[in-house]
Amino acid sequence: MYIIIVGGGRLGYYLTRALLDEGHEVLVIEKDATFSQIINNELGSVSLHGDGCEAATLEAAGSGRADIFITVTGDDEDNLIACQLAKHKFNVPRTIARVRNPQHEKVFKKLGIDATVSTTNLILEHIKHELPSHPLMHLLDIQEKGLEVVEVKIPPGSTTIGKQIKELPLPADSILSLIIRKEGKPTVPTNSSVIQAEDQIIAVTSPESEDELRAALIGE
Amino acid sequence: MEFHRILVPVAGTKADEGAIELACSLAKRKNKSKIFAVHVIPVERSLPLDAEIKPEIGRAEDILSQAENIAQERGCAVETDILQAREVGPAIIDEATEREIDLILMGVTYKKHYGQFCLGDILPYVLKNAPCRVILDHQIDI
Repeated sequence: MYIIIVGGGRLGYYLTRALLDEGHEVLVIEKDATFSQIINNELGSVSLHGDGCEAATLEAAGSGRADIFITVTGDDEDNLIACQLAKHKFNVPRTIARVRNPQHEKVFKKLGIDATVSTTNLILEHIKHELPSHPLMHLLDIQEKGLEVVEVKIPPGSTTIGKQIKELPLPADSILSLIIRKEGKPTVPTNSSVIQAEDQIIAVTSPESEDELRAALIGE
Repeated sequence: MEFHRILVPVAGTKADEGAIELACSLAKRKNKSKIFAVHVIPVERSLPLDAEIKPEIGRAEDILSQAENIAQERGCAVETDILQAREVGPAIIDEATEREIDLILMGVTYKKHYGQFCLGDILPYVLKNAPCRVILDHQIDI
């Protein structure tokens, strides 16, 4: 696969190294000539000095044959413009943008960016996972379908413990896919499955029904 | 000083002939010396590295066969190779490392860029990164 990365900072550097190790053809576009040279010296001829927001640079980078275009600069605006250029001018099939401000994620999605990665949200999800007051965690966004895979932990003392799944007022667009019991045994949930304390339930839902699903499963 | 494995990057310039001649005379000092002539085709990023660029390959073959003829006239054998790379300098260094070369011999012309003498990008890169000795052969009459 030919992967273009815009931004040769620490994130871009380590991402490039990991993708090269996986056997992909990778090119990093970096604005700063010194950083670009450092990457070339350390990883081989994989860096192009230039502005990833300029069509001429993307042309020189061979964006027309790229399979994936990733932007990881520190500026959301640059990441958005570079991804849009790649998507609409060079028809790159998959664009992925780093988003610093989580409020920008919706705008990126509306403007056609295939996937966004928000470090703030990632850290927040980990915090939620560690805190019993946040029993719902996002595992995966299926953005093009408007769905997400979430994990709900049943806290001890939850009013749904001992109830069968058919008794729970689950949202219509949510499906429970897996229950992982306290002792680590995974089972496929059926209508007669009984909720137990510290179950981890993996579900597919829409972002709109997320709160309703959590309330149905933990009994708020 | 004796060299056992000599790499001569050729680019199709007038300096190639002198570089091959010098490589032959250095190789003759030691009977078992080997000469490798390589031509590097720079491949644009818009193409995959292994793309078959026919006009460039044809030109490279002409350049290398000319190098072979020059060496034959001086009683030496040359092993030739065409390389495709994103950048010429790193390709020469990789080749020198891979073939365990002990001398890189490059012909240079006196180029001027905006009225100033300029070595270009490739020669400084090779001088900086070569894993062996490097001889730059500048001929007065070209």
